[in-house]
Amino acid sequence: MADEDRRRFLKVATCAIGGGVGLAVAGPVLTLLADPAGKTTVTTPTTPLDLGPAEQFRAGAEPHRVDVVAPIIKDGWTAARDVVLGAAWVRRTAPDKLVALSAVCPHLGCAIGWDAIAGNFLCPCHDSRFSVAGEKLNGPSERGMDELPLEVRDGRLLLTWVRYKTGQSRREPG
Amino acid sequence: MKTTVRDFLRERGLGGGGTPAMLAGRASFAYVFGTVLVFLLVVEAVSGIALAAFYAPSSTDAWGSVAYVQDQVTLGWLVRGVHFHAASAMVIVAGLHLVQTALYGAYKKPRELVWWLGILLMMLILAWAVTGYVLRWDQAGYWANKVEVGIAAATPVVGGVIRKLALGGNDYGNLTLTRFYALHVLILPAVVGALTAGHVMLARKLGPTPLGDRERTPRPRWPDQTLRNAIAIAMVLTVLVVYVVAVRGVELAAPADPSQAYDARPLWYFRWLFELRDLSGRAEKVVALVMPAIVAGALVALPLADRAPTREPRARVAYLGALAGLLAVIGGLTVASFAGDARDKQLAKRNTQAEQRAQLARKLARLNGVPASGAADVFLTAPMARARAVFATRCKSCHDAESMDRKGPMLGAGHFNRSWIRAFLKNPSGEPFWGRTKLAKSDAAMKSFAQMPAAELDGIVELIYSESGATDVDADKRKRGLDVFETACSDCHAREDGMPGTSAPGLSGVGSRAYYLSFISNPKSAFHMGKDKSEMPRFDKEISLADRDALAEYLVWLRGATPPDLAALDQ
Repeated sequence: MADEDRRRFLKVATCAIGGGVGLAVAGPVLTLLADPAGKTTVTTPTTPLDLGPAEQFRAGAEPHRVDVVAPIIKDGWTAARDVVLGAAWVRRTAPDKLVALSAVCPHLGCAIGWDAIAGNFLCPCHDSRFSVAGEKLNGPSERGMDELPLEVRDGRLLLTWVRYKTGQSRREPG
Repeated sequence: MKTTVRDFLRERGLGGGGTPAMLAGRASFAYVFGTVLVFLLVVEAVSGIALAAFYAPSSTDAWGSVAYVQDQVTLGWLVRGVHFHAASAMVIVAGLHLVQTALYGAYKKPRELVWWLGILLMMLILAWAVTGYVLRWDQAGYWANKVEVGIAAATPVVGGVIRKLALGGNDYGNLTLTRFYALHVLILPAVVGALTAGHVMLARKLGPTPLGDRERTPRPRWPDQTLRNAIAIAMVLTVLVVYVVAVRGVELAAPADPSQAYDARPLWYFRWLFELRDLSGRAEKVVALVMPAIVAGALVALPLADRAPTREPRARVAYLGALAGLLAVIGGLTVASFAGDARDKQLAKRNTQAEQRAQLARKLARLNGVPASGAADVFLTAPMARARAVFATRCKSCHDAESMDRKGPMLGAGHFNRSWIRAFLKNPSGEPFWGRTKLAKSDAAMKSFAQMPAAELDGIVELIYSESGATDVDADKRKRGLDVFETACSDCHAREDGMPGTSAPGLSGVGSRAYYLSFISNPKSAFHMGKDKSEMPRFDKEISLADRDALAEYLVWLRGATPPDLAALDQ
């Protein structure tokens, strides 16, 4: 019986040491893998970005696609210059009013294009359609296109890039 | 009836069901090394997977991604340190495993295959370490790899092909990294994993070899031997982690830079070869190629040479002695190599400089990120880095205080501030100013204003200072300076825009960025020194406009800088 007890002790001790070793190895490794999840690994400028002269947009014209370019972003370890963040559809709705709609589809984030024949916006991924003003017409998108903050200063169009959460009817920055 | 998970699995063909693994004789700590090695392989695999989730095998990104893990990811330094030092642990434990196997005569029939697989595995693990060292793309890994590939390229006939295959073309670049990465994380793990499985399966089947020839009663491996293995594993892991924490992980040198010399040293387990190569003079490459082959050949030949059935160590003294001798030579060469480096004071100095450069690169990477153009450009994210790089190559030898062949005025912290101007006016041909120029010894040399009354000198200093565009000008003093200029200076100099003096340089804008740009571009112009007085060459064709402007900006910055400010740029 004494031998039986000894063997049981040895088994428990072996498993305990093995478990401890396993935890000691897994802990730091899982910490490492989880680290980026809690960080802003890609920075997006929160200040307005210069999209060029405002006069290029004429009243009554079709929406005009403009690349949104950040002068510098940090992406993990890299500091990259002149990075295209996405695109915006800009339209002059009144002589003194410009509107910018994010080209990011609110459904699942595809790039929305302008359907010149139909005269409305179309997301090619899942056929969501939006009116020229960005209201949802049909398709799976939960909401209309997202308007981006825009201002004109010294004749230059300044746009603030915001990436909204996709796949929900409420509009909140993601 | 109790159905356990084990029963469930066993019915479905999984899990132990056959006869339990047996030992001949008692459990022993002598048998733990193989299991420890398997454990270390698992540690390498797990930590390697975590690191691979951060690593970018490209020549522009590799260093940056490693620096990111090292300095910006929680516990990144620890996991990277464990991954690096566990490889060293593996070499040590593999060495012990080999010695134990040899001592116990476990290479003898019927275990020759296990032995040979072990030798092969050991060589593959060393090769694995080589493929990993280059991945960080820092000075250390880059230059060590150059030497290693250079040695391999010395192989007769196929050397050139080996080099091209290793580098992925004609030179070091993106394809070098993608190849070594593929080798390191896909090919070698698969090959070593498969061979290890074979090695372990055969070893298990044949069982450990007890010491000596006496017959012993078989006993089950579990749990007596398993516990010993677990204890050994826990001990090795503890030592490893304590060591990694004590040495703060593993170093990361400055980004790989083909233009920056570096004292490349191989990983410590190749130091014996490094020393041997050093000792063999012109035969170095042959020695570096042939010696590993001889050592491996000797180990492979051991079971073929020692074929007597006895495993008693005393009956095998000659073979064990030869092995001990071989290990002693390898150990002695290793010690000699490290000792030689430790004695080299110049090397220590260069290493300190390299370490400072590494720390600066890592600090800049942390603060500013690594430019997309490549990790070596991280230095350019430092303030005025471009200008200082140009200064170091084009200006320093003639203008730096510490230069042995300085020919012109010293350029350093405080250049063209008030006290500099005052000192200059008092002694223009003094050592820090025109002292080393031919101008100072000629008739055209500017005279000293040391005798000028203090108030007048103050005024002229303020006037000259104001030309630089400095914003802290004392208007009253400057006004006084205007009068003094008319009586004391205007015979030779002029202050009007773009106007040269009658016999000396124009002074409009002197000390400003535009002035410096113009001066650097062409000091021999009529506005500046004129074509005969200046020994300084014109740089408008040799240095790009952007670089000249950067230099001008740097000179303006120097005006407000102190020597500690200047030194801080390098830290």
